[in-house]
Amino acid sequence: MMPALSVQSIQIVFAGIVLLFGIGLVGLMVTRNLIKIVILLQLMAKAAILGMALAGDIAGKPGLGQSLAVTVIVVDTVVAVIALALAVQVQKTWGTLDLNELSTLRR
Amino acid sequence: MWLYLALVAGMVLCGIQAVRAQRLIVAVLWLAGVSVLVAVILYAMNAPLVSAIELSVGAGLVTVIFVFAIGLAGELTRDLPSLIPRPLAWIVSIVAVGWIGWLLWPAAPAPTDAETVTLQTVLWESRAVDMWVQIALILAGVLGILNLVVDAPAGKEAATLERIATPDDEVAA
Amino acid sequence: MLALLIWLAIGLPVLGGLIVAVIGDGREKAQHAVAVGFSAAAAVAALALLPQASGAEAVSVSFGPMFGDLTFVPDGLAVFLAAVATVVGSLAVIFSVDYMAGEAQLGRYYSFVLYFIGAMAALALTGNLFFLFLFWEITALCSYALISFYNDDPKAVAGGIKALIITQLGGVGLLALALMAYAQTGSFEISTFLAAAPGIPTAVLGLMAYGALIAAAAKSAQFPFHTWLPDAMEAPTPVSALIHAATMVNAGIYLLARLYPAFADVPGWRTAVALVGLISALIAALMAIVATDLKRLLAYSTVSQLGYMVYAVGVGGVFASQFHLLSHAVFKALLFLAAGSIIHALGTRDMREMGGVGRRMPFVRNVFIIGAIALIGLPPLNGFWSKELILEEGLLHGPAWAYAIMLVGVALTALYTLRGVSMVFFSQDGGRQAHDAGRAMKISLAILAAGTFATWLFAGSFSRMLAATLPAHGLHELTVGHLAAEVLGAPATYLALGAALVGMAVWQWRGRLPWAARSPGWLAAASESGFGLETINRLTGAATQKAGAILQRTQTGQLNWNIAGMAFGLIAVLIILAWSV
Repeated sequence: MMPALSVQSIQIVFAGIVLLFGIGLVGLMVTRNLIKIVILLQLMAKAAILGMALAGDIAGKPGLGQSLAVTVIVVDTVVAVIALALAVQVQKTWGTLDLNELSTLRR
Repeated sequence: MWLYLALVAGMVLCGIQAVRAQRLIVAVLWLAGVSVLVAVILYAMNAPLVSAIELSVGAGLVTVIFVFAIGLAGELTRDLPSLIPRPLAWIVSIVAVGWIGWLLWPAAPAPTDAETVTLQTVLWESRAVDMWVQIALILAGVLGILNLVVDAPAGKEAATLERIATPDDEVAA
Repeated sequence: MLALLIWLAIGLPVLGGLIVAVIGDGREKAQHAVAVGFSAAAAVAALALLPQASGAEAVSVSFGPMFGDLTFVPDGLAVFLAAVATVVGSLAVIFSVDYMAGEAQLGRYYSFVLYFIGAMAALALTGNLFFLFLFWEITALCSYALISFYNDDPKAVAGGIKALIITQLGGVGLLALALMAYAQTGSFEISTFLAAAPGIPTAVLGLMAYGALIAAAAKSAQFPFHTWLPDAMEAPTPVSALIHAATMVNAGIYLLARLYPAFADVPGWRTAVALVGLISALIAALMAIVATDLKRLLAYSTVSQLGYMVYAVGVGGVFASQFHLLSHAVFKALLFLAAGSIIHALGTRDMREMGGVGRRMPFVRNVFIIGAIALIGLPPLNGFWSKELILEEGLLHGPAWAYAIMLVGVALTALYTLRGVSMVFFSQDGGRQAHDAGRAMKISLAILAAGTFATWLFAGSFSRMLAATLPAHGLHELTVGHLAAEVLGAPATYLALGAALVGMAVWQWRGRLPWAARSPGWLAAASESGFGLETINRLTGAATQKAGAILQRTQTGQLNWNIAGMAFGLIAVLIILAWSV
């Protein structure tokens, strides 16, 4: 077992989480490809996993934090798998993965 | 502390590269890199079980499925301009996420609570409902996939890393 | 026991609505039976509540710290209105068995009528201002759905949307009132608010009082919001009888009566209320004189009579207003349902094409005349007693000029009523085929007609119930004997009777009075435009729909903008948090 975290380490990891989340958010606003969106969602999910584990450590309940991290992993994986299956079907039906062309709400 | 700095810096770099990548396969590889580094950080944070799960699922399973799907659906054929101007996206994201991050900036950690120390006890006893829900979720996901993908074209078995061409499109528009 | 009855009175109609919808439109007889059964059961439950009325909170369901508790307080005012809603509701449903026989989409009709009855009972019984607003809005929704029931008729749809927009804008006043009450007293409970009212700063209390007045005026189609009710007559007639004569439009009066003790001392409020009632009564009566559509005539008459009730609240006669509410609910529902029989039989709403129907539909003619007599306010029907009580209160407690105008209103009421009766029943035969009312229609009409003779006899127990359960209002009991003595002994009564006779005489001998023959010209033009307010209301409706179209552009359906929207929202929340700290 590694030694317990120091305050600076916590802050570094937290900064990393925030940065990763922000990068994923920027990407979500900018990208137009469905599969790319799933990739970015996975990126934000990694940040969430780290965040859960870190929160558990900060609150003094590492077991709870880690079990929630496991939950996030499972949920995000299932979401990614289903989203990819949907993306594949969309590509087969409409021939495009571009968000703009797929958007059916008219202005 | 330096270890953490290096790991986090590497993670963020891989993340940036994943967003910027032009080809989807390359983006997936960078995502796998992020997964690996997250797993290492988790191990360093005294969470070996979570680290193992993340490594195998995030860096392994998800990457394979992505490759599968990209093989089926095809790569980007052209670089599409974004609908929202990039500077706006950056500013909004930085302000929103940065502000929350600053509000939540962590201070010293609390002392460890004795009962909730080991992951195994927490996972199977206090959060038992979580586990059952996750199992149900996995089953639902599998059924959903089978339903959606069961009539995939014959080229599925031959999908490999090198084959990044678009398959025959049956455009049913 | 009390709690059970309350849940039955509110829940049975809702349950019935669900069952009717589930049964499906293929089984019409079953739908009729279910609707009649559930509404009648709710009426029985509500009537059973009457003797048990108490000012204490009977039911309380907690919804967490934010909305307070959903409380039902069965005090006199509440059970009275709930009883009116459910009883008249069940009579309208019974009438619908004949009126809507063979109509398409009957399930939709009955569901909404039943949901409406449940929501109205809940509105009356609840003691929490926020939930009052919620039920208020639900009744507005059901009203809209029923006005636009014939949804391939553009007039019906337009009428429904107009009613919805106007009453919803008024509802903002009620919401503001509820929120301010919460801010001032920390709770949404009406009883808390009434107790704390003397301590609330006058400016805030004034805002709340006028907010309540706006909400009530919009809901009860009073000036300046009176233009939606005539257009709402596109609804099927049982709906007009139930919603737009006997129950929903009374919600505004109910609100004013319930909150009266809190707002009575706000400077200018009582005068404003009396003025609103007065103006409505007058201009609606004027518009009724030139109306040619039978239902619009009754709609204007409703606005006018509601004006009397609002005027009564304004001069301090809360019991008088509720008493007239009871009488009006009965005789106006009677008039509407009778009109419905005529319209159903003849296929037209234009009174000029009726005429002579009296010979072919004797039963309907007789009950219509009974309702008309009650409307004019002639003894011994219930309209006489309640209207005289209002006028007497006005003479004693209100300004004299207001009383004089109300007196003119009585004359006008008599005038347009007699005109209506003669145009429909006694004039040149329009030549249309007509059959008398069906059995279900006759049942409802007979019960209501009997009601016009009888309801005033309950004045004693009614006032006793109100006095016992509403301590804040300072009401006192008025036995039937006292009532009779007061009304028959007061000079105001004879003045009013005289005015009524004058009105009827003007109609009878209109040939001999040249000015009477000439005036309808400008009056008709003025009433078409709702005395100028129609334009404002139309513009408001158009503005609302334009705003909706503009805002629709923000719903692009593109993921990128949605995510950006989420991020913007997050920033907005953070800004608000930073500001409030």
